Amino acid sequence: MTAATGDAKRGPAEDEELTKVTQGTLSPAGENGSELAEANGSGSAGRKSPELAAASRSPLPPASSGPVRGGRLTVLGWLRWGWRQLTSMRTALILLFLLAVASVPGSVLPQEGIDPAAVTQYYVSHPALAPILNRLSLFSVFAAPWFAAIYLLLFASLAGCVLPRTVRLIGSARQRPPRAPRNLARLPMSASYTTDLTPAAALAAAAGVLGRRRFRLDQGDGWVSAEKGYLREVGNLLFHVALLAVLFSVGLGGIFGYKADRLLIVGQGFANTPTALDVFRPGRLVTPGDLQPFSINLLSFSAKYVTSGPQVDEPISYNAWLSYQSQPGAQVQHYLLRVNHPLVVDNVSVYLIGHGYAPVFKVTDGTGKVRWEGPVPFIPVDQTTLTSEGVIKVPDAVPDQLGFAGVFLPTAVDVGGTLQSAFPAALNPRVSLVAFAGNLGMNSGQAQSVYQLNTKGMRELPIAPRPLAAGQSMRLPDGAGTVTYLGYQQWISLAITYDPGQLPALISGFAALAGLILSFLIRRRRVFVRAVSASDGSTEITVGGLARSDAAGGFEAEFTDLTELLRNEHVGRSWQAARTGDGTADQPDDFNSQERGRLAVPAESAVTADDAPASGDYHEAALSREGKRGSDARQHKPG
Amino acid sequence: MSRQPVSMRSALAAAATALALLAMAGCDGGAIAADTPQSDGQSFVSGSYASSFYPVGHRPQAPAVSGTTLTGQQLSLAAYSGDVVVLNFWGSWCAPCRAEAPALGTLARQLQSKGVRFVGVDIRDEPDSALAFMQTFRIGYPSFNDPDDEIALLFRSTVPPAAIPTTLVIDRKGRIAARIFGESSYEQLKSLIDEVAGLRS
Repeated sequence: MTAATGDAKRGPAEDEELTKVTQGTLSPAGENGSELAEANGSGSAGRKSPELAAASRSPLPPASSGPVRGGRLTVLGWLRWGWRQLTSMRTALILLFLLAVASVPGSVLPQEGIDPAAVTQYYVSHPALAPILNRLSLFSVFAAPWFAAIYLLLFASLAGCVLPRTVRLIGSARQRPPRAPRNLARLPMSASYTTDLTPAAALAAAAGVLGRRRFRLDQGDGWVSAEKGYLREVGNLLFHVALLAVLFSVGLGGIFGYKADRLLIVGQGFANTPTALDVFRPGRLVTPGDLQPFSINLLSFSAKYVTSGPQVDEPISYNAWLSYQSQPGAQVQHYLLRVNHPLVVDNVSVYLIGHGYAPVFKVTDGTGKVRWEGPVPFIPVDQTTLTSEGVIKVPDAVPDQLGFAGVFLPTAVDVGGTLQSAFPAALNPRVSLVAFAGNLGMNSGQAQSVYQLNTKGMRELPIAPRPLAAGQSMRLPDGAGTVTYLGYQQWISLAITYDPGQLPALISGFAALAGLILSFLIRRRRVFVRAVSASDGSTEITVGGLARSDAAGGFEAEFTDLTELLRNEHVGRSWQAARTGDGTADQPDDFNSQERGRLAVPAESAVTADDAPASGDYHEAALSREGKRGSDARQHKPG
Repeated sequence: MSRQPVSMRSALAAAATALALLAMAGCDGGAIAADTPQSDGQSFVSGSYASSFYPVGHRPQAPAVSGTTLTGQQLSLAAYSGDVVVLNFWGSWCAPCRAEAPALGTLARQLQSKGVRFVGVDIRDEPDSALAFMQTFRIGYPSFNDPDDEIALLFRSTVPPAAIPTTLVIDRKGRIAARIFGESSYEQLKSLIDEVAGLRS
């Protein structure tokens, strides 16, 4: 009764496996091989014709795998074919390449989101070309519909590839060991011996031994099969799930994160709110109200430089002393901000990414009223000497608006009649200004950069440029006013980044690595034990072993150990039985010789293609290939 | 101290974003985010950002705002309770602010007798240039001096200013009834104020 039902139960499962074999997906070598090949980007899908590639990846019978069924195209067929094309590794690679190519114009042409002023400038200098480029979204490449199309397809391709594979891996990790093949001697490794135990007792003992070694077990009439190394599948699964998690985390940052820049002059402060930021790049679902409400004040800043030797002018350190509040009314805290030591407040990282000088000016207009008094950030044009340029705009000067274009030299030295900066620290700071009067073009409402002077509506005032030291003034002609250089301040630029996906991405990245390592290091291996009553009343035990993948050797040793354990269990017991009854004492020697004989099967006698059973028994079929491989491998071993 | 170029990572981020956006398409558009003006006959000047009108029942309560003005006086919006308050975030360096300033100055003078008060919030500015701005455009109403963005931060959970300039219209009950991000025009702003103040005939 047990035997019949046992085998009957195995029936459907075997049929299922059989089906898989015909699709060429379950055979161990095939599965691993194709996965590896695909991971390397040169998989079967890349080489075969589309229909073949689709068929080899398909869980369906080949007949329905192409767009053509019975010579006619079906909508479903086309859809299925299209989906398989999309999710193939080749398509993913092409899309990846396209994405890279598509982002090229983003770095060649000025971009609306990064530098709107440069786009405006481009319109002026290329009046015919600019509207065409704009129509092609080339001024906002990363928001362009065609760019979105590429990355959407890429994401669909990746998800469509990884998700079904994940499902398949879950199935693989939960699989029970298959039933023992009929002829264990055909396995790459096998051993046999006789014992006095009854077949049932011997199998129970074998199950005990294998179970203690944490094999997953299955039993049937006259056989025990055991499998170990499911962690390989778990690792594989982990890798795939983690890969999806990486994608998801990165997306999380893109949706809920934001990036911002802010230039901050010593003595000034700002709060993390859009109007206070110079550049604000929110994620798709970030609204101004989502910004963490911290505020930062810059108390002081110092930069140290190498003063001599070959690395003169090189920076040694930048130190920015900040006070900050995590939200209005919260306790004021202090932080020493340095390069690569960001201030982290409320999960937002604030990095020090730049610094410069902000000369302080006082401008009085023709009526004698002060129209500007304060620091004006100048932008370094030479990083080694920090020669900086900037503009002062005085739009409310009377009678004419005033504008100044200036150069700031931190350490001014006379080189052949012209002043240059010799060192980045402000040892001998000088400012020279060119003055303009007229219309700054601000009142029309056209936004303009605070670092650029639009001199189109202005005239240059005729004054000889004179480098100003702190406290010196320059009187403008025609009673237009006076400009005084009062001294300098320093500024720092801050990069503010909030990326809620950063930590999940890191974690899933490590998980993916761990999964990959697991799947490479651990092998699925199977051990089968069959017990048959011999004519002399003893029981003949056959042990067979099979490693499902040829990654990392060592299964031979494990199999020998296991056989040893099993033999001790079986023969040791039969010895005990012999002491109480009348067993034969020279059984162990018998066994040894037999085992040696078995293990020394010459390669020629291993199963060949002719021997492969036509019955379609999966184990026999798969094992025959493994058998050949195993015996080939053994040929290289000495002895 | 250098910027990274656009990396594959950001491309992937964009990919993921796009997918999520696709999934969320159709879930957008709450009452408060509706950019469609409720009143008719509004004229919108091209180039200005979206304005929004919040119908009664969808108006967030404005925070209590007080501080020092550019001329050194203490000012609290509570002093204007019962009036419609037009709160304008500006800076003298900001070109769109300069362009809209004449309209604001004119409206402030015209509507003062009808219970509409204008108040400015001067941000990222120096007092000297800010006062010069007010003189240039004959701005008679006071402005808070807000160099540390404290006032902008107060509106964080209601209608945070997203651009310079930003104009908020607060109704007689102290609720935010309309906002304009970017340069506003005389007609646009007057229409919104009339609607909020009930001046529409």
